[in-house]
Amino acid sequence: MSIRGQAHIAGIYEHPTRRADGISTARLHADVALGALADAGLSLSDVDGYFCGADAPGLGGFSMAEYLGLTNLRYMDTTETGGSSYLLHVSHAVRAIASGQCNVALITMADRPLAANAGPVLAGVDMSLVPEREFAAPVPLPPVFGYAMIARRHMHEFGTTPEQLAWVKVAASHHAQYNPHAKLREVLSLEEVMASPLIADPLRRADCCVVTDGGGALVVTRPEIARSLGRPSVRIAGCGEAMKHNAAGRMNPMSSAGVFSGAKAFEEAGVRPSDIKYASLYDSFTITVIMQLEDLGFCEKGHGGRFAADGNLISGIGKLPFNTDGGGLCSNHPGNKGGMTKMIEAVRQCRGEAHPAVQVPDHSLVLAHGTGGLMSSQHMAATVILEAA
Amino acid sequence: MTERNKPEILISAEAEAFAASAAHGDLILRECRDCNELHVYPRAHCPLCGSRNLGWRKASGQGTLYSFTRMAGRRAAAPAIVDLDEGLRVNSVVLDADTYQLAIGDTVQVRFQPDAQDVLRLAFTTSAAENARAYSAQAFAMVDADRERFAAGGAPEEVKTVAVVGAGNMGIGIATAFLNAGFTVLMLDQNAEAFDRARARIAETFERDVQRGRLEPSQASAKLAALQVETDMTQVARADLVVEAVWEDMALKQEVFSLLDQHARPGVCLCTNTSTLDIDAIASSTKRPDRVVGLHFFNPAHVMKLLEVVRGAQTSDATLAMATQVGMQLGKVPVVVGNAHGFVGNRLMIAREHEAGRMLLEGALPEQIDAVLTRFGMPMGTFEMQDMAGGIELSYRARQARGEKSPIIDRLFDAGRLGQKTGKGYYRYAPGNRRPLPDPEAVAIFEEASRAEGITRQPIADAEIENRLILPMVNEGVRLLAEGVAARASDIDVVWQTGFGWPDWKGGPMYHADQLGLAEVHSRLSDLAASHGARFAPAALLTEMMATGGRLTDFEDV
Repeated sequence: MSIRGQAHIAGIYEHPTRRADGISTARLHADVALGALADAGLSLSDVDGYFCGADAPGLGGFSMAEYLGLTNLRYMDTTETGGSSYLLHVSHAVRAIASGQCNVALITMADRPLAANAGPVLAGVDMSLVPEREFAAPVPLPPVFGYAMIARRHMHEFGTTPEQLAWVKVAASHHAQYNPHAKLREVLSLEEVMASPLIADPLRRADCCVVTDGGGALVVTRPEIARSLGRPSVRIAGCGEAMKHNAAGRMNPMSSAGVFSGAKAFEEAGVRPSDIKYASLYDSFTITVIMQLEDLGFCEKGHGGRFAADGNLISGIGKLPFNTDGGGLCSNHPGNKGGMTKMIEAVRQCRGEAHPAVQVPDHSLVLAHGTGGLMSSQHMAATVILEAA
Repeated sequence: MTERNKPEILISAEAEAFAASAAHGDLILRECRDCNELHVYPRAHCPLCGSRNLGWRKASGQGTLYSFTRMAGRRAAAPAIVDLDEGLRVNSVVLDADTYQLAIGDTVQVRFQPDAQDVLRLAFTTSAAENARAYSAQAFAMVDADRERFAAGGAPEEVKTVAVVGAGNMGIGIATAFLNAGFTVLMLDQNAEAFDRARARIAETFERDVQRGRLEPSQASAKLAALQVETDMTQVARADLVVEAVWEDMALKQEVFSLLDQHARPGVCLCTNTSTLDIDAIASSTKRPDRVVGLHFFNPAHVMKLLEVVRGAQTSDATLAMATQVGMQLGKVPVVVGNAHGFVGNRLMIAREHEAGRMLLEGALPEQIDAVLTRFGMPMGTFEMQDMAGGIELSYRARQARGEKSPIIDRLFDAGRLGQKTGKGYYRYAPGNRRPLPDPEAVAIFEEASRAEGITRQPIADAEIENRLILPMVNEGVRLLAEGVAARASDIDVVWQTGFGWPDWKGGPMYHADQLGLAEVHSRLSDLAASHGARFAPAALLTEMMATGGRLTDFEDV
């Protein structure tokens, strides 16, 4: 079943905070839910489908439905795939709407790792219980090390350079200067990025996304409801989801699940990578962006570094402006999960409502892509293609 | 802790089998008898075909690096993806190896590592590290063989009661070490008040061991009960062995030794813990110079593994046999060294510290120099160590005694920067925290010292810092070989592993020089001599050995 055009994104909201001292996680979820519903011109009573990930506190969907005051729910989905969760929620919401299971789907995401002093961890994840803990390495590894190993191998196989990685950050910083809420608004030069200290060789501090509190929400609804609300229409043209893991020792870390989620989304939307005018690319680390550029087909395998270094990611200059809000690298990566903010900026672009300095002129077709988990081992990719209607 | 309260560590039978095999150093893989495929991480089913008909296959334990990165921290750890010989790719970590020399494609081998619960986990190390560890094992075996050789004339008499003379810091540590090893200790000091502090400190140490589960409470009280104290020096007659640990002052030591010689039973060994004084001059105040020997403990004496057994001109083999046997009973590594200023360990340390201080004046900062050392593999940088051990004050007092000035140490001392105990030294320290923090106030002192010395501060590259810290140690080690202070290069390496934390995966300073190649060491030292002064000039023996294509670790002083 193709879902092309069967649902629209009618409302978006990104919490302006980057540090939520004195604001509970539940309150953050409520703030973003009300914000997105107001953006759509809908109210809590209109919501009959609710989607959240493991960042929803307490009993997850149950707790949130009661806390928010969702009394007309017919459908709930608490799929958790790390940072890509919210792109999967969009995909699942379209299918639920298309099959008549709900009309107005609310997706919320919010967390407060900074205020809770939790560091770069995901809500609801207990690493002591992963099955391989019985045998695996004695050192618990934060995600940056997995991505650093991808970066090193990418350099080894394709000649990618640290400078090429740095260009991804430079591009993001060029966009972040126009976002008053961005955590890092300073425009960075290549030299400044390269002077940043190594965190996990070859990745530097500047190659890593920010750690922030906050969140965001989306409202997905039937096309006829969306059109009645008077906001610019953002039609969901295609979605793809794909999972990869170690496969009992048969993993190829040079190829992410984005290869499959991207191909599926493009097929469903009936478009090609070269048709895309803007891309929200998951940017937990600079190497994540390079890998996705290649795996989604925006450039050949191994050419992602060159693509970035040629300035192609910078709005107004390049072929494929990315993360025009500054992305996770400069603006926001709430709860160590960047999927929600990727969707939100893609919708802003598709509506033509991004900051004028970074708005792409032709915003007929945009893409958002997320990678949840560890790209070097277990991860779930999700791709969403949006078209201005 | 009762069995019931123990956390469940290994949940599955497969994990038990994996751990049992790991205990023998063997990596076992799951093999499916239906689809004939291997898989990593033992499961009860085949993840490829779903079969439960599984066997085990022993892996070669070897693989190649697919990729890796590096973790900052005290222990050299490199998260790595390893391609096993059997064709499986695993996420793991390379440990106990020089992670700064890794390259994709390198051969690595399994080296299981205990986690916090002492369960063995899959990890890898490098061939270079394994070679260095094999060398180290041989080096330690040679130290053992020395002990047996000295005892060839007859096993030393059994020691039950040890007199420790001096109830200061070193005396307390030494007494603790002997009590720990089951000896009766007679602590002698003319100041009876010192005993209260000594007893309290020793009790504290045992109490900590009880808390950590290393000692039963009954054992701790038995050990403490084996401590006797006396102000009457004639009581030394009860001792089977005497270890002196009084203040480092030759006149005082000679006076004490003359007294010990009078009252100790004939034939009882008189040992001195001096770290700076001439053993022969001390021995000359006795009528038994053949029974006088240095026992150079390292602070804290009950913890540090290294024991330098210092041989005086007249020290007999029987005395060395006694000293090395006691050292072994203490659980230490007794290395016999010659009687020369600084003996072996500190001689190399002084060479390194001198250059480190010099580079502070030229423009490097403590954190940069220390980072070079920790990256090199040392557990701690030189300035952090000095801050921890009170090195600024020790160095200041030693220089004062010799009438020498030091532009940086004198200023740090005058500013009350004595190290961790005053909250600041080369670094500053947050209250209750031992982590060194860079301190602009300290930097201002270095800058002022540079100005006063007429030195224009300039950045120094990490590579130069490493050469200037490590190569003078090698050069000094070669001089020790030439002077006969160290009998073998490997003894120097054992000293630096056990006393100064040189990692076993890097062998030791002399092994390191051999790995670099003597020609390379010689050339770098010559370059440094040309640019920075004659203090770097290669030792004569180094030039000689380079010319004959020799290796330091083959050198034997026989």
